[in-house]
Amino acid sequence: MQLDLSTPQGITLGLLPEILLSGWALVVLLVASWRHSTAEDSRLAGWLSLAGIAVSAAGLAWLWVNDATPLGLAQMMALDPFRYAAAALILLSTAGAILLSLGYLERELLLAPEYYPLLLLSATGMMFMAGAEDLIVLFLGLEVMSVAVYVLAGYNRANAWSSEAALKYFLIGAFASGFLLYGIALAYGATGTTNLSLIGAQFAGGQLSLMAELGLGLLLIGFAFKVAAVPFHMWAPDVYDGAPTPVTAFMATGVKIAAFAGLVRVLMEGFPAAASLWQPVIAGLAIASMVVGNLIALAQRTLKRMLAYSSIAHAGYLLVAVWPGTRLGSGAVLLYLAAYSLTTIASFGFLAALGRHGERTVTFDDIAGLAANRPWMALGLSLCMLSLLGFPGTFGFIGKWYIISALIAEGQMILPVVLVVTSVISAGYYLPVIMSMYMKTAPNDELQRDMRLFPSAAGVIALSLVAVLALGIWPREALDAAVKSAGTLTQTGTPVARQ
Amino acid sequence: MTQLLDSIHYDQWILHALILLPLAGVVPILLGDERTAKRTALVVTLLELVLSLGLWWAFDPSNGGMQLVSSAPWIPRWGITYRVGIDGISLFMVLLTTVMMPLSVLASWTSITRRERAFYALMLTLLTGLVGVFIALDLFLFYVFFEVMLIPMYFIIGIWGGANRLYAAIKFFIYTMAGSLLMLVAIVVMAWRIGAVTGVLSFSYEHLLANASTLGSAAPWLFAAFALAFAIKVPVFPLHTWLPDAHVEAPTAGSVLLAAIMLKIGTYGFLRFAVPFFPEVALSPEVTRLMVLLAVIGIIYGALVAMVQPDIKKLVAYSSVSHLGFVMLGIWGVSVISVQGALMVMISHGISTGALFLLIGMIYERRHTRLIDDYGGIARVVPLFSLILTVVALSSIGLPGLNGFVGEFLVLLGSFGAYPWATGIATTGVIFAAAYLLWALQRMIFNRLDNPENERLTDLNRRELAVLIPLIIGIVWLGLFPGPVLRRMEPAAQRFVQGTQTHGGSAKLGATVHPQQGSR
Repeated sequence: MQLDLSTPQGITLGLLPEILLSGWALVVLLVASWRHSTAEDSRLAGWLSLAGIAVSAAGLAWLWVNDATPLGLAQMMALDPFRYAAAALILLSTAGAILLSLGYLERELLLAPEYYPLLLLSATGMMFMAGAEDLIVLFLGLEVMSVAVYVLAGYNRANAWSSEAALKYFLIGAFASGFLLYGIALAYGATGTTNLSLIGAQFAGGQLSLMAELGLGLLLIGFAFKVAAVPFHMWAPDVYDGAPTPVTAFMATGVKIAAFAGLVRVLMEGFPAAASLWQPVIAGLAIASMVVGNLIALAQRTLKRMLAYSSIAHAGYLLVAVWPGTRLGSGAVLLYLAAYSLTTIASFGFLAALGRHGERTVTFDDIAGLAANRPWMALGLSLCMLSLLGFPGTFGFIGKWYIISALIAEGQMILPVVLVVTSVISAGYYLPVIMSMYMKTAPNDELQRDMRLFPSAAGVIALSLVAVLALGIWPREALDAAVKSAGTLTQTGTPVARQ
Repeated sequence: MTQLLDSIHYDQWILHALILLPLAGVVPILLGDERTAKRTALVVTLLELVLSLGLWWAFDPSNGGMQLVSSAPWIPRWGITYRVGIDGISLFMVLLTTVMMPLSVLASWTSITRRERAFYALMLTLLTGLVGVFIALDLFLFYVFFEVMLIPMYFIIGIWGGANRLYAAIKFFIYTMAGSLLMLVAIVVMAWRIGAVTGVLSFSYEHLLANASTLGSAAPWLFAAFALAFAIKVPVFPLHTWLPDAHVEAPTAGSVLLAAIMLKIGTYGFLRFAVPFFPEVALSPEVTRLMVLLAVIGIIYGALVAMVQPDIKKLVAYSSVSHLGFVMLGIWGVSVISVQGALMVMISHGISTGALFLLIGMIYERRHTRLIDDYGGIARVVPLFSLILTVVALSSIGLPGLNGFVGEFLVLLGSFGAYPWATGIATTGVIFAAAYLLWALQRMIFNRLDNPENERLTDLNRRELAVLIPLIIGIVWLGLFPGPVLRRMEPAAQRFVQGTQTHGGSAKLGATVHPQQGSR
């Protein structure tokens, strides 16, 4: 199906998932402004938002199944399976965050109803970012996403850590936006356009001017801030640590998906000719993130901070997948994002259940002996750790295998070796979680026994873990989908061929 | 027998059944209650043993290639298939595994009292992993099994182990994983490089083996990655430091399986992958010198360190380092005799050391100490135990007529031509083995009975005899009639040796030319 994006009808259909989602967010906001006092109202808003995700997903599915492509050059928004796949992942992670929040908000008495509309609006921004064919749309998407997430990070107003997280995230985020905007301005100055395909066409084969190189550099810095790659990661541990746990899960998954999808698209459509320029930068960021993230995670005593540093390491793995700039590489980005998101949602879900009134303080010792008191929880959390570690039999392994393959197909050896060596280091902090649960005795059985996992959270965790296992053993379809989706981005050797 | 097997199409389903049966056994264990877990595990492992025994007849001794091969597509986009098969090398490893497993379950009967369901479920998962490692003919599949069996062993050491179990468990895990992840990179590199040359991306063993000579300059690095993974597993000196910790801290069943089977995965890996894939590298003078040197150091060092151990379990653990040195020497001897010898040592070591760990576990259950000095003169109190311990120790030393002798003799015989000096030094390892084991034996079961606590020891009961007698039969049978076993190994050993020589394995012949070098 071809859509003419220059007509109102065409652009409406082309943006169907985003329009449905943002419209729905406003409806939820409206409902919430009438009903916002009791826990029941909060639940209502939550389930309504979930319905919104489903509606938007239906719109997305319609585009994807009909294989919507643009008539002529894609203006503003891309219409390709890469966008659809990324958007699907974003919706999935948002749905996960909503389900984790349902019980959490009640327990923590965070009943202000704007929470869910903010999640939906943020997800809309993410979807724009993942599908942006134009640097301005990319920036708008980024801002819509970020502003909502700043608020969400500070949602627990009574908690100083949460407020600190919001402020920190806001300041650093504004900084990152500034870099990105300067980069866009310079790229525009060098090419006279903000459309990615046109930028790519201008650079094709030729040398980049100094202005364009600077623009590319600043864009990369902006993205590096957003994905929390070392050395632009300083904000991440505090923000992940301070924010309410479901929001942390949302940030660790949704924001990463959007930022990486945007990064891949910018590099592959706008700057494929400059691969020799950005590849060393990406490689440097990747190595630094993997090494620093994993090493500092080793030293953490609390689970939440450990997961925060480990997410920096995972950003490093994802940057490795960005490096080749090939179809295999961007497929690996998508697949690894899926694996990482599923596992992360489940991990943070467990963490939310483990800590009552403050997950920040859940240490390795607090989960000692969990296997005896809560066998299913211990089993699930172990599975999460193994998947994050990249152990065979889990989806995380398939993701890492795919990344390694994509690099090796390009003849690159150093990055895969660093990746596996740092993965071994990560065993040094993932395994102690399992060790603590199974091989030590509980300090306080009572405390662990009356821990509550809300049904909605339990449901989403169970679904994620089943997916992690099933896709780890039978990854065939997921792989095919990832490669096919990525193919639309990069099968164009020369950028102009997209037309 | 062959007709019976044919009539049930044994060859078509047996290997899949061996992988799936233990996994299926996990279900009733987890659903049942704590007390029936061990019975279920015993039934499943015995069934697995009975099923696997048919391999002895289904296997064609005249064929050196892979047999009973079957495969199913798994991830076609990457050329990954579920592909299994056996040859004269893996046949015995599979049989060793299926024999040791019910014995280990039986040996845990009274010593494992906590969380029995979990224990036996992990044992069965481990069985799947071990069998899978030996029969996998696709490198992706091999890697998955290679890693997956780490988890059950990690838990077995970490939950039911001794005082220092947490340290031992994590050390074991991280050592093995560090090696295997680099091997993972090497596997992917091999498959892609060969895929680029041949146009077929496939992780199938035969495909990679047939085209490994096209790897050219990458071969040394790839060999290094494979060799590191397997050398850690063997373990080759100086990568052995995880072994004493893991073996000593693990519960009896864990030590038995570690020593009897999991160490063999390392040497199996050299025989199956590292050397056949890269014979030019593996048998180049430099690598040969290094590996033979490390093998000899392992033999002597393991024996010397074993000699000074006050803890009998640690003594046996270090003796493994020494025995596995013989296997490495035999592999690098690359003659049919030395390779057969290496395989024989692998089997004998599995039986003898397994039996030693079982015996130590039995006496530990009674006396709760493993210090040699706490015993003394117990031959009068527990004559049956002492008799069996003596027989097993003699077999481990390599007394002619028992199983240990055959392998070590063949290794020394087969390697002498290639490395007279190294072999000469290795021979002293046999003497050292006699020294540390006989000395320990003397202090434990002979001498004077001076500790009153030892007077109350009870002798072996029927269950324990049921565990040990099959092993004693194996020890004597392999020592007196190794012929049938050697005959089944011979074609595979021949193939191994030929494979290395047609690819320019010149080290053994002392020549300096590499016929294949640079030609492709």
